[in-house]
Amino acid sequence: MNQSSPHRNAIRLLLAAAVLAIVMPASAQEEITGIVEPVSARDHVRGPRTAPVKLIEFGDTECPLCKRLHPTMKRLVDDYRGQVAWVFRHFPIAEIHPKAPKEAEATECAAELGGEVKFWAYLDRLYEITPSGNRLDPVELPRIAQYIGLERAPFEQCLASGRHTARVAADVVDGFAAGAPGTPYTVIVAPSGKAYEVVGNQPYETLRLVIDIALTQK
Amino acid sequence: MNPMDAFRQNPVRIVIEAGREVLGRPAYLLLAGAIALIVLAATLWLPNYRLLGAVFSTPGVALATKLQLLAGLAGGLASNFGVVAAVAVVIVPVLFGVDVAMIVYFAKQRRARLARGEIAASLGGAASGAIAAGCAACGSFLLLPVLSFLGAAGALALLPLGGAELGLVSIVLLLLSIYLIARKIAVPPVCELPPGGPITRQPPARSTP
Repeated sequence: MNQSSPHRNAIRLLLAAAVLAIVMPASAQEEITGIVEPVSARDHVRGPRTAPVKLIEFGDTECPLCKRLHPTMKRLVDDYRGQVAWVFRHFPIAEIHPKAPKEAEATECAAELGGEVKFWAYLDRLYEITPSGNRLDPVELPRIAQYIGLERAPFEQCLASGRHTARVAADVVDGFAAGAPGTPYTVIVAPSGKAYEVVGNQPYETLRLVIDIALTQK
Repeated sequence: MNPMDAFRQNPVRIVIEAGREVLGRPAYLLLAGAIALIVLAATLWLPNYRLLGAVFSTPGVALATKLQLLAGLAGGLASNFGVVAAVAVVIVPVLFGVDVAMIVYFAKQRRARLARGEIAASLGGAASGAIAAGCAACGSFLLLPVLSFLGAAGALALLPLGGAELGLVSIVLLLLSIYLIARKIAVPPVCELPPGGPITRQPPARSTP
């Protein structure tokens, strides 16, 4: 019986994995740069629009990982003081979170009625109270609007009209075009335009590491 | 009951004995460990292979920073998974490594082929583990496409652990596969005697004249 054969197989497997780790990402990276729609006036931006680094997050308000990432993103914008801007784009995954598309529209209604400040206030409050996993009671949507200081009637009228459905759908199309495999999916865009895609709810320190690298790419 | 038979029918004993026989050999231990590490690394880093590619191809990034990023993404185990899913993410690669090592050992030592049931349990365990690993991001990797294909994506919202159940299914399937292969390894490679000893043929009765 030849005992060294499994040993050799193991080494072959390790080598194959190492080659994949080096070659695959390098070739994949070329595909993604420039695919995300550039930040424009239609975007919701937290932090200065002129910030050198943009964190473009594709989020689903019923995704538990997006809920956990939300305070991390707020902390990053605060800590980098003008160096980083956070852009939120909708990516509700209706297949697993059927309530998320309407919640995304609700944030747009907040923006329509109260501007950027109310959009972010609404999003913050929504993430704060949703148990996530498609478990937010829809009756909470107008209550959140009232909580952040919007009038209930126009908010409900906006939400019922469905006039922001197309806007949410456009963000989803952008996410798919960028290659979002799920949520949260964050594209960190360096001043040079180089994109760093982050999948999942990564820790604060990991995101800082990538932002610091992006800041050097001028 | 024969005490040896009772010993053999205890699934835990069977797995431990077979595990000792296989993993007691350094080559198979190395194989199991290498597979476990590769699967674990794939679970932690593959969802972010584009990020790794972008950082590794950025000029001027120190090696220490690259290693820090690898470690940081591994730390995503805590931030991306719930307790049940995180445990499954660690256990599934280990079980898969042991399972493959035992299958290779059996195939080489006995020069025998496995039954479909054993292969199905092993592949099922690995596949459900890979799907469960998709929970690193909502709807990502294999999870959503597979469930959508099965028409069961909506059912995910109804699961109490939000899909982490798949990790548990994976653990059960891999344990089943390991048990099935261990049972084969534990059986000595001889044709066993039937209970009660060999069947002796009665000599033909002599016909009396």
